[in-house]
Amino acid sequence: MSKFMFTRTVAAAVLTAAFTLPAGSALADETSCSPFTPLIKGQEDLVYVMTLGVKGIGDGSDKLVTVDVNPQSKTYGKVVAQLSLGGRNEVHHMGLSDDRRHLWAGGLDSNKIWVFDIGSNPAKPKLIKTIANFAEKTGYVGPHSFYALPGRMMITPLSNKKDHGGETGVVVYNNKGDFVSAHAMPVGDLPIGKGDGYGYDVGVNPGKNVFLTSSFTGWNNYMMDLGKLIKDAEAMKHFGNTSVMWDLKTMQPLKVFNTPGAPLEVRWSWQPGDNWAITTAALTSQIWVYKQDDKGEWQAHNVGAIGNPAEIPLPVDISLAANGKGMWVDTFMDGSARYFDMSDPMHPKEVYKKKIGSQVNMVSQSYDGKRVYFTSSLLANWDKKGKDDEQFLKVYDWDGKELTEKLSLDFYKLKLGRAHHMKFQVRDLKTLKPLESIAAVQPAVAQVARAD
Amino acid sequence: MRFSASILSPILGVLCTLCCVGGAQAAPRFPPPLGLPSVLHPADNPPTPAKIALGRKLFMDRRLSHNNTFSCAMCHVPEQGFTSNELGTAIGVEGQTVRRNSPTILNVAFVRQLFHDGREFSLETQAWGPLLASNEMANPSVGYVIERIRQLPDYRGLFEQAFGGRKADMQTVGAALAVYQRTLVSGNSRFDRWHYGKDRNALSAEEKAGWAVFSGKGGCTACHAVGPKHALFADGKFHNTGIGYARSMGLKTRYQVELGGGARTEVGHEMLDSFEQSLPDVGRYEVTLDPADRWAYRTPTLRNVALTAPYMHDGSFATLEDVVAFYDQGGIDNPDKDPRLHPLGLSAAEKSALVAFLKALTGDNVAALARDARRAAPVVGRWSGRDPASVYSGRH
Repeated sequence: MSKFMFTRTVAAAVLTAAFTLPAGSALADETSCSPFTPLIKGQEDLVYVMTLGVKGIGDGSDKLVTVDVNPQSKTYGKVVAQLSLGGRNEVHHMGLSDDRRHLWAGGLDSNKIWVFDIGSNPAKPKLIKTIANFAEKTGYVGPHSFYALPGRMMITPLSNKKDHGGETGVVVYNNKGDFVSAHAMPVGDLPIGKGDGYGYDVGVNPGKNVFLTSSFTGWNNYMMDLGKLIKDAEAMKHFGNTSVMWDLKTMQPLKVFNTPGAPLEVRWSWQPGDNWAITTAALTSQIWVYKQDDKGEWQAHNVGAIGNPAEIPLPVDISLAANGKGMWVDTFMDGSARYFDMSDPMHPKEVYKKKIGSQVNMVSQSYDGKRVYFTSSLLANWDKKGKDDEQFLKVYDWDGKELTEKLSLDFYKLKLGRAHHMKFQVRDLKTLKPLESIAAVQPAVAQVARAD
Repeated sequence: MRFSASILSPILGVLCTLCCVGGAQAAPRFPPPLGLPSVLHPADNPPTPAKIALGRKLFMDRRLSHNNTFSCAMCHVPEQGFTSNELGTAIGVEGQTVRRNSPTILNVAFVRQLFHDGREFSLETQAWGPLLASNEMANPSVGYVIERIRQLPDYRGLFEQAFGGRKADMQTVGAALAVYQRTLVSGNSRFDRWHYGKDRNALSAEEKAGWAVFSGKGGCTACHAVGPKHALFADGKFHNTGIGYARSMGLKTRYQVELGGGARTEVGHEMLDSFEQSLPDVGRYEVTLDPADRWAYRTPTLRNVALTAPYMHDGSFATLEDVVAFYDQGGIDNPDKDPRLHPLGLSAAEKSALVAFLKALTGDNVAALARDARRAAPVVGRWSGRDPASVYSGRH
């Protein structure tokens, strides 16, 4: 399909969604799902953990690990499935399809993309497709985020196969796993701002017909030992310092923001009446909020810091509450989870902090915010070494004041590897709660799918 | 095959040596670029267009690493002076640590002892070092590489065409890569046009002043040799400047870290203890086991030095200004430091002139060589980035 055709067909579905999904009517995060993906509003049954293989641990292979996390289940707290992917691919993030029946995952090193069937038997995912030519097809390396659009999967790679640096783009595949289009990140002095070409995460706000991308670093750096990297002054110059607001309909960048120090995860607040997104910069430990000004122009605001930036706490993952009123931030270096009061997003305030382990990376909260999940691995070569290299999945209850540990799985003792990204699932997909507005555009979505 | 005009000179130069007989080298009929001697080719591996094209394809092919992620060009990036401007020290497959900076391979044809420690003697055999090193391209064996190449459909017939019917094997793979790399010859810099070409206007007054420091008070030519007819800006020898000593002895314990947007901080060892410790590196000594060679590294050429940052064997200096300041201080004292290093007492103007001079050593065809390298890259549509196991299952 040509780029032009893609723009027309996706735009049709997305615009329909936009008209039926006014800003604020969409419901949350859970914790970072696309608004086009139906949500688990009750108790999640399963958590999928993308796990990096470690030489000498079990079979040493990357895995999709499925853990039963429903306290009512007979197998609560057990690994109910593990699916080895073969080799060490620097597996990283996963993304749910628009119908939540498929799970996509990528390898930042091998550039492979795996598509799992998690609908037929959610407790036993099945690998149904491996895309092995992503780098050759797109020129990009390190497929990172997978973000569902109607009939599509938006993918944000981190690097390129030309020099393993940070210039990259945004890529779209259809739900069948076919390449649709690629869109380069803005580079250089442009009327919309100064682009550096880096990319990382993506978050879509269909109500505003926009999506926001953030930036990290290229293969050279994300594959390097973190201690070596910090000592390498040249390498440290090569991190993304920008984020970009795009027009969802045309897939064209609207504005480049100067947000120094690797702004990572992108989250939109879906609270009715809210109109802002948020990122945190890993190196500078700054919090950025993106809002429209009185003239409707998007602006980025530096609204605060996380910990003491001079000590490089390395905020790596965030989880925004369903109502946008609170946010978990994991700081990798001190292994801590911090809770920020986001009642006033322009003045976030850290109100709680708890050490989760010697290192902590991903954080995901349930839709109701009562359960918070943590995993330990950041990147294979960024994780700590020796006794500090703890690898776990931990589940806590959160009562608004205190985290109480309910479940802890040692991924090394279980011979699994490094625990990274998490996604929730239910055993009965009929219990999912699709957004009403998304349900309204299902015919259009189906039409787009057929067009492929 | 098409060559751009600006790279035609070195390639024609190498082709002119085809008339070598036995082990002898025939004098090329095509002059080398101004400032450089003729490239000498091994008698048993004369260059041909087919070999050059094959070597270039191999050089640019990421499938030559165990997991399909790494080509030679990922560390020797054509657009970055055939080195990596973004890394102090290289990393290999799965991000594994490599101890040293990727050297430029521009003018590698003139290097007699390869790698920073000089452990290899020819490009033909050198190629197998990175291909097999577990922390670089990480192929499990020689046979594995050969079998993989033989199974890739887009290589079908290319070795046979280049090597008189001979298939891909240990020698022909190394030979093709060597022949291609010997085409990466870059001279005719503004310095060459001034010094050898007698073009009085080729250098600015400051650059000429820099040459005076370089060849006089600075004593730089003692190692970065400049001859009467040509200049390699290297002596082919190994020297201890103290950089390696300081690293091995842990003399540096604090690191300035750039955080982005101009923000910086300083971190110490205590923060980095949980991560990988620096790997030992004793330089030339690892090859000779002669204590006198401890922390000695091969003198790099200074040709194209403006394009090959960061500098020193560990990439620890970001700019030429940093390098000049280091030598002005006389290096880092240690028992085996090269006696030619001593404080120079250069003025600010002299240091500035020296840097200006170094920036006049850029060859006139580097961009063309980079463009030429990229011609080999596309394999889209015929991608066979197969899993490693396919090499074995594909055997009959």
